[in-house]
Amino acid sequence: MGIEFRNVTKAFGGACVVDDLSLEVRDGEFIVLLGPSGCGKTTTLRILAGLETATSGDILINGERVNDVPTQHRDLAMVFQSYALYPHMTIAENIGYPLRVRKLDKADRTARVQRVAAMLEIESLLERKPRQLSGGERQRVALARAIVREPRAYLMDEPLSNLDARLRVQMRGELKRLQHQLGTTTIYVTHDQAEAMTLASRVAVMKKGRLQQFDTPLNIYNHPANRFVAEFVGSPSMNFIEAEGVTKGIRPEHIQVLTVPEDGAMEARVYVTELMGNETFVFVSVGDNRLIARAPAEFRADVDTKVWLRIDSEKVHFFESATGRILPQRRNGATEDPK
Amino acid sequence: MPRSRRFFNAQNKRELLLPALFLAPALAVLLALSIYPLIYSVTISLQKETAAGITWGVGNFTRLFSDGFFWTAMVHTVIYATAALTCEFLLGLGLALLLNNQIRGRSFFRASLLVPMMLPTVVVGVVWRLMLNPNFGAVNGTLKQFGIDTESLTWTASPKLAMLSVIAVDVWQWTPFVFLVLLAGLQAIPQEPYEAALIDGSSRWQTFRHVTLPLLKPSILIVLLLRTMDLLRVFDQIFILTEGGPGFATETISLYIYRAAFRFFDFGYAAAMSFVLLALTNVISALYIRFLEARDA
Amino acid sequence: MLSTQKTQKRFYVPFVSFVHFVALLSALLFALAPVYWMLTISFKTEGEQFASPPPWFVFTPTLEHYYDAFVTRSFGEYLLTSAIVAVTSTTLALIIGTLAAYALARFELPFKLNRRLSLWILSTRMFPAIVTAVPLFLMMRDVQLLNTRAALIIIYTAFNLPFVVWMMRGFFADLPRDLEEAALVDGDSRLGALVRVVLPLVAPGLAATAVFCLIVSWNEFLFALVLTQTDAAMTLPVGIAGRVTQYEIKWGVMSAAASVAIVPILVFALALQKYLVRGLSMGALKG
Repeated sequence: MGIEFRNVTKAFGGACVVDDLSLEVRDGEFIVLLGPSGCGKTTTLRILAGLETATSGDILINGERVNDVPTQHRDLAMVFQSYALYPHMTIAENIGYPLRVRKLDKADRTARVQRVAAMLEIESLLERKPRQLSGGERQRVALARAIVREPRAYLMDEPLSNLDARLRVQMRGELKRLQHQLGTTTIYVTHDQAEAMTLASRVAVMKKGRLQQFDTPLNIYNHPANRFVAEFVGSPSMNFIEAEGVTKGIRPEHIQVLTVPEDGAMEARVYVTELMGNETFVFVSVGDNRLIARAPAEFRADVDTKVWLRIDSEKVHFFESATGRILPQRRNGATEDPK
Repeated sequence: MPRSRRFFNAQNKRELLLPALFLAPALAVLLALSIYPLIYSVTISLQKETAAGITWGVGNFTRLFSDGFFWTAMVHTVIYATAALTCEFLLGLGLALLLNNQIRGRSFFRASLLVPMMLPTVVVGVVWRLMLNPNFGAVNGTLKQFGIDTESLTWTASPKLAMLSVIAVDVWQWTPFVFLVLLAGLQAIPQEPYEAALIDGSSRWQTFRHVTLPLLKPSILIVLLLRTMDLLRVFDQIFILTEGGPGFATETISLYIYRAAFRFFDFGYAAAMSFVLLALTNVISALYIRFLEARDA
Repeated sequence: MLSTQKTQKRFYVPFVSFVHFVALLSALLFALAPVYWMLTISFKTEGEQFASPPPWFVFTPTLEHYYDAFVTRSFGEYLLTSAIVAVTSTTLALIIGTLAAYALARFELPFKLNRRLSLWILSTRMFPAIVTAVPLFLMMRDVQLLNTRAALIIIYTAFNLPFVVWMMRGFFADLPRDLEEAALVDGDSRLGALVRVVLPLVAPGLAATAVFCLIVSWNEFLFALVLTQTDAAMTLPVGIAGRVTQYEIKWGVMSAAASVAIVPILVFALALQKYLVRGLSMGALKG
């Protein structure tokens, strides 16, 4: 079940919300559209669903152009950020709604609703109304409603953003497992790079309507196409140092902090340390720059003490300062062609 | 937020079909029964039936200038509207200010106050004809008990008192409305400005003038607009109470138009007058709305 | 609660309460006494009606006027006509108006039509009744629909339509779009989504609008007066008025009929007073 965006653009008045987007999703993939708010990821999803129309470009599902096919016939399921559960119906009726609309008979409907409810462990909630459920429970109901019809693909619009941190991590795992079980193509929108990295088979990073990079999470992490992607993905963020039109980027885990000087090590002064429990973040200043380094949990250093930084030169990325483009350097592995 | 987020997209021609279908019946009904009559009215207002057949001309309109009844009716309408509006507004505002606090049994109170304005106007007319009846009406009966001579107080039958009577009836019926709308407006005003005024040392009158009144302006304008429109076109109650009489002492413009159309069957003239009334109400509502928008700006 | 009032209260508690009490009581009495008076007239014999001083509370009640009005005379028919006309025209106005309101609230039309059409529809309500009554009389006469219930139903529908559109549009606009979008994605048609998802959620608003339209139709006088002169299609208000303009006024019959006429009103007023202020101020203020 392949989905393809071909040069899709969506403009409002003068502003370009989606700018010449081309993307191909393979059957069974879990694609994440990642980017800051306003980057066009939700609009892209809605265009695919048929809730918005593209100003130009084609949307294809299974090779068939669907631009003119109305929403209700596209056979896609969507999980909304607000879950959009029908408040006046019971949970069972909510989940059964897509089936009812397709005129399935009652027995059939009930059976399928039961099956899906069991899968998501919400059987006990079937006779309740949405307002009686917690956030996590509602989220599962929204998922159930999407799954029950066995659609061509799932579209998810930041489904975890309304949950508290702990629940979010838990649901993340369950979602991934579910998708693995069902094997259905999924397109997922989020601004949370951790979700993208953990859930996706491929990530499409977007900024201001333009696709920045479309690759596996690992490649995006290790071989970012430009400075924006490098900075957006990874927590804590990549460190950047400007020098003569070239920006050098190095991730915190590739900086080693030493308390004694070493050959080739850079001198730095400790700005502050943050003890995370499982590791320590060390903020250091080098000249005008401030960098973050990851150190083992036992690392201690007082503020303003001198330290030395050993940088893994093979992990340094070079970007053109003006445009942010990656500059191919002598590195092992492919040099990504930035878009 | 992109604008089209608010609506389903209707960008293709096909997408416009559904809303067009939804809107068509309503638009058809209104065109047929609200707009077409106006056009029909224009046509007949420009016609005159003579022995020779139908002639076209602005005779009906020019006749207005010299028609005493017409100008009297206009004067009556203006007097009626102004007097009723003033009383209703002052009473309603006073009550609203006085009773802005929590009132126990508020629902019952509000429901009871709604009764006068929910009654069919006919019933209002009946109620007050009974109350004001010189012989057995409650008003004169009660006044007599206080020793007042009610011989000359024939209310709706008295040329001097008829206008006063009909105005009083309108005040009775619609003051609750003004009261309720202004009360709602008052209760929507937040606490903060009052607290600030208190700290600034403002007196009660000053607070009223500089805090309450400005924040109440939208409600005031709306209620004045709605009442003015209703008062200018008043018909029902006066018809029941006095039928425009005694003589023509309480004949307002709507009543005169009715008389022209359905007693004299002079439809053309009635139509001409209707347009004057329509123009009048349009101008006034436009003025009010301009005031209203100016506030929001 | 105004803090200025609060500080005053501390000093003048008895005074303020007393003034409130008196004002409240007066307003209440003022509003209800006349109606009560009419009710008593309907239950008094003719002798007691003309008694002086007029008995407010102590009298021997009789049902003769009610019998006279509804059994002997045609007020029963007028009542039926009023009911039929009110219910039918309200139903029609609701169906036609709600569809139009939905279109205006949810679909973006070109040429700023959403706002323009809404305002235009509302403006038709602003015409003084007499302005359209005269031509409508002539129009109905031309198609021979004078003195029929059909004519009244048609006209009352047109009369109530702007209000329905105005109110329902507001209710639709207040509803988040998510739910309809979810319904569409789930496979429902626009109309299906409207019926299965949206309407249940605006049901209270719909009910309030319906009641308001019923009241307006029930009370309407001018159009009924102009369009019906025979018993065949006369509504209750016109029937009552007829008794008044004749020279021999039967006060008992008239007030009996009028008392019955206000029963539905009183029932509805109690049930819906929360919505009425909003409705009467054309949605500009929340009650």
